Amino acid sequence: MRRGVGAGAIAKKKLAEAKYKERGNVLAEDQIAQMSKQLETFKSNLEEFASKHKQEIRKNPQFRVQFQEMCATIGVDPLASGKGFWSEMLGVGDFYYELGVQIIEVCLALKHRNGGLITLDELHHRVLKGRGKYAQDVSQDDLVRAIKKLKVMGNGFGMIPVGGSYLVQSVPAELNMDHTVVLQLAEDHLLKEGLAWLDSQSAGEAQYWLPALFSELSSRDITPEEASQMTP
Amino acid sequence: MSFEWPWQYNFPPFFTLQPNVDTRQKQLAAWCSLALTYCRHHKLYTLDIMEAQESPVFNNKKIERIIKTTMNELLIVLTSGNLEWLDKNKSRCLVMWRRPEEWGKLIYQWVSHQTERQVNIFIFPETSQTNPSRFLPEFHGLEEWMLLRSLQALQSDGKAEIITMDEGKGVKFF
Repeated sequence: MRRGVGAGAIAKKKLAEAKYKERGNVLAEDQIAQMSKQLETFKSNLEEFASKHKQEIRKNPQFRVQFQEMCATIGVDPLASGKGFWSEMLGVGDFYYELGVQIIEVCLALKHRNGGLITLDELHHRVLKGRGKYAQDVSQDDLVRAIKKLKVMGNGFGMIPVGGSYLVQSVPAELNMDHTVVLQLAEDHLLKEGLAWLDSQSAGEAQYWLPALFSELSSRDITPEEASQMTP
Repeated sequence: MSFEWPWQYNFPPFFTLQPNVDTRQKQLAAWCSLALTYCRHHKLYTLDIMEAQESPVFNNKKIERIIKTTMNELLIVLTSGNLEWLDKNKSRCLVMWRRPEEWGKLIYQWVSHQTERQVNIFIFPETSQTNPSRFLPEFHGLEEWMLLRSLQALQSDGKAEIITMDEGKGVKFF
């Protein structure tokens, strides 16, 4: 008698498959149960860690960065929502919310001067100033995170990467851009990046020169007077 | 041969102390180089800080820019190896656009070529007939203080010996 083919064989096969499937489910259930247990343990460990180091997280920017990165690797966003489990437990949400408010205040205050465009450095400097010496220290990483949250809330905030840092934009580009102000910012930034040199002995206000442009001009025998007229 | 100015000399911002730290470093290094090459070209061994302010190096009349010779940052960079103050008030200094050791080497080389390894003695007070600076354009105008230092450098190296005599000083080369 031949094996394999035939209704009987098919039925057997189906039974075997079903058994395997069941086994598969059973295995999956096991794994899930195990994973849940692990997650529980992990969660409580993290809770313990967070409550132990809550002060540290609030006070120390360096520690805060590391904590944030650790959360990121396990897929936890402590700032996900103001009322979320994590933000409540860690109390970090408030910190970033307050920081966001401060950032908005600084940007609003300077908007008339810089057209809503400010370097991250300057923003950092002013935020620190505004916080006073008894407040918790704030790093540029904190500012970037707070701004990211602001973006999500649709406050018109954006960050433009320039050189190794950012320009923070608090006003959408189409509105209210004073071009001379932007140019001023650009000049400041060029100085910072070492692309421009400052000349404080020119008649009138200080001028910025670009060495790269200068050598080109010199080679064409343009006088310094003519050259200076070409700079903004 | 007239002195060739570097491109920075006609660049107005070169005369303003740059706020950017990296740019400033490059700027001061360029100033150091310019000051030394100028002194070397004109064989200046001493510098009076106040008088130097009027010199074309620090005062570019064509583009109407000056750099203060009393500027601390400038002086610090120049002093680190090449300038030596003659007085406590820092109004005059020695400019070593070539260091005594380097001079010593040049002198020794020249001496070796002169007499094929014989021992040489030169007496070099001002009345001397055999002052090396009389013989080589390179040494021309080499001031006695520098000459003495260079020979002292050779002496510490064991290549020469300074002998003090009544008429002045002599040098024995080995």
